Amino acid sequence: MQVSGPVWAASSKADVEDGQWSMPSKDYAATRYSALSQITRSNAHGLHPVWTFSTGVLGGHEGQPLVVNDTLYVVTPWPNVLYAFDLAKDGYPLRWKYRPAVSPNAIGIACCDSINRGAFYSQGRIYYNLLDGHTVAVDAKTGRELWNTQIADMAAGETTTMAPLVVKDRVIVGAAGGEFGIYGWVKGLDASTGKILWTGRNIGPDADMLVHADTFKPPYVEGPEQGARSWENASWKTGGAPVWGWLSYDPELDLVYYGTGNPSPYNAEQRIGDNKWTNSVLARRPSDGALIWAYQFTPHDNWDYDSTGPMILADVKTNGGAVKALVHFDKNGFAYVLNRATGKLLSATPFVPVTWAKSVDLQTGKPVLDLSKQTGVSKGNVRGICPSLEGGVSPASPPAYSPHLGLFFTSTNNFCMDYEATRSAYLKGTPYIGANSPYSAGPGGHLGALAAWDVAAARKAWEIEEPYPSWSGVLATAGDVVFYGTLDGWFKSVDATSGKVLAKFKVGSGIVGNPITFRGPDGKQYVAVFAGIGGDWALLAGDARSDDPADVRAPMDMMKQIARHTSQGGMVWIFGL
Amino acid sequence: MTLAINTGVGTTAKLFSAAVISLLSCMLLVSCSRHNAAPAAAASQPPGIQYEAHIAAGDRPPTGSHLTNPFRNDPATVKNGAALFSAMNCDGCHGADGSGWVGPSLADGRWRYGGADEEIFSSIYFGRPKGMPAFGGALGSTAIWNIVAYLKSLPLPTNVPTESWDDANGAAP
Repeated sequence: MQVSGPVWAASSKADVEDGQWSMPSKDYAATRYSALSQITRSNAHGLHPVWTFSTGVLGGHEGQPLVVNDTLYVVTPWPNVLYAFDLAKDGYPLRWKYRPAVSPNAIGIACCDSINRGAFYSQGRIYYNLLDGHTVAVDAKTGRELWNTQIADMAAGETTTMAPLVVKDRVIVGAAGGEFGIYGWVKGLDASTGKILWTGRNIGPDADMLVHADTFKPPYVEGPEQGARSWENASWKTGGAPVWGWLSYDPELDLVYYGTGNPSPYNAEQRIGDNKWTNSVLARRPSDGALIWAYQFTPHDNWDYDSTGPMILADVKTNGGAVKALVHFDKNGFAYVLNRATGKLLSATPFVPVTWAKSVDLQTGKPVLDLSKQTGVSKGNVRGICPSLEGGVSPASPPAYSPHLGLFFTSTNNFCMDYEATRSAYLKGTPYIGANSPYSAGPGGHLGALAAWDVAAARKAWEIEEPYPSWSGVLATAGDVVFYGTLDGWFKSVDATSGKVLAKFKVGSGIVGNPITFRGPDGKQYVAVFAGIGGDWALLAGDARSDDPADVRAPMDMMKQIARHTSQGGMVWIFGL
Repeated sequence: MTLAINTGVGTTAKLFSAAVISLLSCMLLVSCSRHNAAPAAAASQPPGIQYEAHIAAGDRPPTGSHLTNPFRNDPATVKNGAALFSAMNCDGCHGADGSGWVGPSLADGRWRYGGADEEIFSSIYFGRPKGMPAFGGALGSTAIWNIVAYLKSLPLPTNVPTESWDDANGAAP
């Protein structure tokens, strides 16, 4: 079935805009779209900063604040302080702050900086993960800790950077650690007590994966033990499949969707097979974790193409009728549209230059590989692979979807890479990688962009090229203004229909966070975003850091000037008219 | 997640060869008798050392044992240390050539926890609080001295403290 014609129905989000931002991606459909419309294409030029706050933390400020009941909630990178600001008072003073004890060991076990991707508000509580493998529930009014559960094991290389998803009485969480050979999972916690009610592995035997023969219906494969049989020599035991991105939920289908990360190690020849279900989207029932379907974007990953970016739920009309779809911009460079009830692939189109595969076969669901781009120790140094392992888009940079324009907006990276796999030995608690992969600029020479993507037409509507990789999330609004930030520290407001920059402001550090919008107690619309470069040591903050006199690094060849424009340092910014 | 080792120039291929496996099996847990015979005292001495960078109250440093790297300038030792640096996944955090990644650069001549041989030894043996694992149990003293020798052999950049930009050298990035 082909997607045909740019005709889009309303997304599954609620029609009533409450002016709040209570969950990481704004809604269960992960649209990052707000129906607030005071800020428009005609007045956005008047946007200016109205408030700032230093978090005092230098780690990369990914994620986003929440706004609920006239309170702004901010979680910092490690040490994961939770701030609650009173938006009803002048200067937004704190109501409280919550300072958990978080092990500093987590800083070194987290592969790529001590980041946190945000909190989730539900029924008077704030839920979020501490980097050292704990989930906490905090009373949203008082800041009192209600429970604190250890969910992950740092000694095995697990850390917790993702934002939980709360569905009814379940808090669903996962762990990072694809560089440490973890045995990846998601867990369902009791929202009232924090008790772990179920654990579903992302790889391995059916029993561990919560696969039941009568309910697991993947669209392209049959037979039991897919998650174990697709790994030679039981290599699934240290096979990775972390969950460090974004979760979404369809209340009608009662399915939670999430993407899994890379298989371990990076040297693919140590794990022959498809390596299911790494680099995949998995659909589970939130109550008991049962796996309902799964689809693998990059079988037998040779290039570190995690699929942990968001699964955005949108209803798309095709020539076969309306389909409840799931749209996903993968690190591997393809934009996917799937039927979210079945996992069946509807379309897959490159949104950045792609060389590892020629296309994706809609009948088999499998990529059509360019065999000259296969990697592994026996392949030596393989050149000219696009995208790089930074991804066509970083999963840490979630796109936004405007249902009334039918457009998706995503940050992109324009890198290609060489990839030289090396043999890696598993030693618990240490990295399990095995690849050297220097980057080069992709076609055009710019290193990033903000792109507006028309999924129905399978093409870019417009694009803003950036000199540096684009690492922020995107916010879309009913005023047809989209917002994003750049690595060199510009916060930009853009005409959603044309890509024209309407306003920009230089904030104190590179932006890797995700803008949000809310209606303040004064009835006015505001936009908030974190500044604070980080989240990828080599690429983003190698020589941009200044906090440690015992750690002075040479600039990265690809981006010799980034430290000229930014250094580390977390700030919360709020803009208004 | 994305973890690129040494995204700049000068990648160091991992040398996980039969020789390294043999070296590892030799060095894991026990000192190797055939090769790199360390003085028994140095290999078994508890690394309860003083830290030269610490300030002593009353200008009176506490007494403590001192360790000396028995292999310091031996090229074969440096080579073994380089192989171990890769084989034990040190480069996974500190980058190829120790150029820095999640863990700090080990090639800038600067040290968070002291740069004397015995201080570096102690950092590897016992680990450090921000996620540096303790390798003493897995490796034993002899192998750690090899890694210390390798780290001390790394060439230092000519100008560490200053980074400057010249527009004549081209525009961003």
